[in-house]
Amino acid sequence: MRTIRIRKPLALAAAALVLAGCGGGGPRGGGGSKLTDGKIVLGVLNDQSGGYADLGGKNAVVAVQLAIDDFKAKYGAKAVTKDITVVTADHQNKPDVAKTDAQQMYDRQGVDAIFDVPTSSAALAVADVAKQDKRLYFNISAASDDLNGKSCNKFTFHYAYDTNMLANGTGAADTEGGARNWYLVYPNYAFGQDMTRGFTQAVSKAGGHVVATAGSPFPNPTEDYSSLLLKAASLNPKPDTLGVMQAGADLQNVVKQYNQFKLKDRGIKLAVGLMFITDIHSLGPDALAGTTFTDAWYWNFDQTNRSFANRFYAKTQTRPTFAHAANYSAALNYLEAVQAAGTDDAATVVGNLEGKKINDVFLRNGTVRAADHLVTHDAYLAQVKPSSQVAEPWDYEKIIKTIPADQAFNPPSGDCHL
Amino acid sequence: MLRVDRLSAGYGEATVLRDVSLQVAAGEVVTLCGRNGAGKTTLLRAIMGLHRQVQGRIELLGTDLGRLPPHRRARLGLGWVPDDRGAYATLSVAESLTLPPVVGPEPWPLARVYEVFPALYARRGAAANTLSGGEQQMLALARVLRMGARLLLCDEPTEGLSPLLVGQIGTILREARTHGVTVLLVEQNLHFATTVADRHYVLAEGRIVEALDNDDVQAREHELLSYLGI
Amino acid sequence: MANFLEQTVNGLVNGGFYAMLALGLAVIFGMLKVVNFAHGAFYMLGAFGAYLCLRELGLSFWWALPLVPVVLGVLGMGLERAVIHRLTRLDPLYNFLLTFGLTLILQDLVKWRYGVSANPYEVPAALRGTLRAGSFEFPAYRVFVFGFAVLACAAVWWLLTRTRIGMVVRAATERPELTGALGIDVARWTTPVFGFGVALAGLAGVLAAPMQAVNPLMGADLIIVVFAVVVIGGLGSILGSVATGFGVGIAVAWAQAYAPPVVAQVLVFVVMAAVLLWRPAGLFGREETPA
Repeated sequence: MRTIRIRKPLALAAAALVLAGCGGGGPRGGGGSKLTDGKIVLGVLNDQSGGYADLGGKNAVVAVQLAIDDFKAKYGAKAVTKDITVVTADHQNKPDVAKTDAQQMYDRQGVDAIFDVPTSSAALAVADVAKQDKRLYFNISAASDDLNGKSCNKFTFHYAYDTNMLANGTGAADTEGGARNWYLVYPNYAFGQDMTRGFTQAVSKAGGHVVATAGSPFPNPTEDYSSLLLKAASLNPKPDTLGVMQAGADLQNVVKQYNQFKLKDRGIKLAVGLMFITDIHSLGPDALAGTTFTDAWYWNFDQTNRSFANRFYAKTQTRPTFAHAANYSAALNYLEAVQAAGTDDAATVVGNLEGKKINDVFLRNGTVRAADHLVTHDAYLAQVKPSSQVAEPWDYEKIIKTIPADQAFNPPSGDCHL
Repeated sequence: MLRVDRLSAGYGEATVLRDVSLQVAAGEVVTLCGRNGAGKTTLLRAIMGLHRQVQGRIELLGTDLGRLPPHRRARLGLGWVPDDRGAYATLSVAESLTLPPVVGPEPWPLARVYEVFPALYARRGAAANTLSGGEQQMLALARVLRMGARLLLCDEPTEGLSPLLVGQIGTILREARTHGVTVLLVEQNLHFATTVADRHYVLAEGRIVEALDNDDVQAREHELLSYLGI
Repeated sequence: MANFLEQTVNGLVNGGFYAMLALGLAVIFGMLKVVNFAHGAFYMLGAFGAYLCLRELGLSFWWALPLVPVVLGVLGMGLERAVIHRLTRLDPLYNFLLTFGLTLILQDLVKWRYGVSANPYEVPAALRGTLRAGSFEFPAYRVFVFGFAVLACAAVWWLLTRTRIGMVVRAATERPELTGALGIDVARWTTPVFGFGVALAGLAGVLAAPMQAVNPLMGADLIIVVFAVVVIGGLGSILGSVATGFGVGIAVAWAQAYAPPVVAQVLVFVVMAAVLLWRPAGLFGREETPA
């Protein structure tokens, strides 16, 4: 301590020099830019320690950084600014924490756009902050269709997927494939209830029937779903399909217990509402082999996806989930919009994005819907491979068919008034 | 056997014992009497090592007890007979008897304990705290005799007992004494005290105010009774 | 009817976990007067231990079953010696906070090393089938878990009631001061007892590994339910925690099967509140005896 005290003025001077060097100082590149503060800050707000940390988490920050790198490489000296950074925070899946973090990002850290935000309740809280602060928010990982329905706002975009996309894909496809009687189990909160509603509609529309629904506590401290699973056999008529609406670790528990109770052997097939590739990895493909589900993107679908996955792998030693790819895509398209608009003024950027048609590594036949800010695109009906067909690590999915964007998503609900 | 030298003890700021010195010779039975709050129980607890805030010196058989924890003192031969009789709810009578380790050269064998305390034999399988008050007191005594303790620290063993039971306790203490057991006894019952003890210390406000023998006690019974507030 | 029976048996299986965890908590609380918040983390380490045995050492479930609890028990004894022991003379709140901190550290260490996602762990091959009797059908592994839990509880019961160690533990649990004054070194027993409680949690964790997603957060919420079980049964009451563990297992299973989801969610805590109002010492507890 003593030496530091003696040299304090010197140290301060050195620190000042270092900071000045880092800050860059002086006029910024990209002549004629009208950025409010000469720089762009992207914020990744998500779960970095809990059950959703692997599907997004810190690797979502990597994906956003890749987008920044690609943007800089593409525009070089012509970029609207060279000073683009990414900041991040862990919202622990708590709406109150998410709200405080979002305010902090917009107000103190000068964040222009927030990305990701899993857990619907947290996402709705952040959408509220975006609306008040008039800053942009690209929701990636939350599924609630309220984000582009009754809780929509001018500054929030719902990217990647929603509960209807999942229901339309899996509910309709499985029903058409012979699933007549469904038993739906769901986590008893907004997401689970939305999913159950969406699946019930999709199943009925395809000519099937939902025999019963059963909610599990959320969060579920006992991590036990066996009571709900045992109930399946006692229902009348007996269901032929178990529709699981739980996500993340809850989903993994349901599937593990489904296998233990041998419900498949008792004539009850498994259908999963929302599954990330990380879930398959956690359970091992054999626990899920043959299960169909709706995916928003798959890393090994084509060469474009694969080359992105390879770049991602080089930095993370893991394969991207659709949320990672969507974070990349959203960040890149935001930067493109700022470049095109020549300003980071939120309202102007929104104007540039609305109605835009986009095709990129994540969005195929993508449209930023002007009516409700849902970003629609092709989705995929996927099937889990048995381990015998897994050719390389993370090669878990077989894409059965592409669901065109207009069938994958519902039309605007009419509840949204921007 | 026991030497207490200028012992002071307290609770926080309050001093309960001041410069207490006393001696108990091997084979003696000595009582401590005094009003409630005079410091009798604190003195016993300090000797046992249960009361830690003390100054002064306590020697057992020439060994300085210093800061020894209670279980080490027990192993040196102290037998603890607490004022609440210390009957366990989770131990049977038989278990209570065999719980403490043997610490002295002349432990009572279990058979002898049961012979002397037939009530304990009859209820050996019962939870100790389901015994009657008198039986619990017998158990507390039997427990330390089976340990082979050399110096019993008995805190009001006759309290709340019928005259018949008080007599029995006296018999047991005298019997123990014939086998070389020494006893330091907190006692309010002066008559009982004179039937079992050789000497008596009177405690008042944390100090030893008098040391008496049985003749003194008998001669000054009325004075002492009023002094003790009985 | 068969389904009702299946639900009930299933409740008993889950109750087995509550019972084993509550038993460990009760033994530790009784002897050390420490509310061991880290119990859930040790349960998680048990499951993780089974997974690591398989992945790193190629040791099957049957090896992990005895090995992991022993290793965790030793680890628990080390922790007791190193930190918990130092705080036992202070307000119990200190050790509650300490074990809470330990929980976060253990969870984060596992997260940092192995990530938050679950890891695959299969039911041992010999127990993959189901047991059938008429229309009653139940996974063999779950029956095994129930049997094992009953056996483990019975073994602990035997240890506590029929052996000298158990006698000393009971005496020290009930009246530590008196027991010390009777010549027994109570402090010498706290370390092995803590280790034993931890080993029981680890055993429950190993048994849970094939049934539940093995991830660093498993047990984090379960421990709250187990606390409720211990409070209902009576803090420090051995019989109480076992009986309440199985009872709560059945009650929650019935509630989940036959009542709206919110009932299963709050049932345990409503019962706990009711018991606290009606019998503060718990169903099987005794009023505190003065030391």
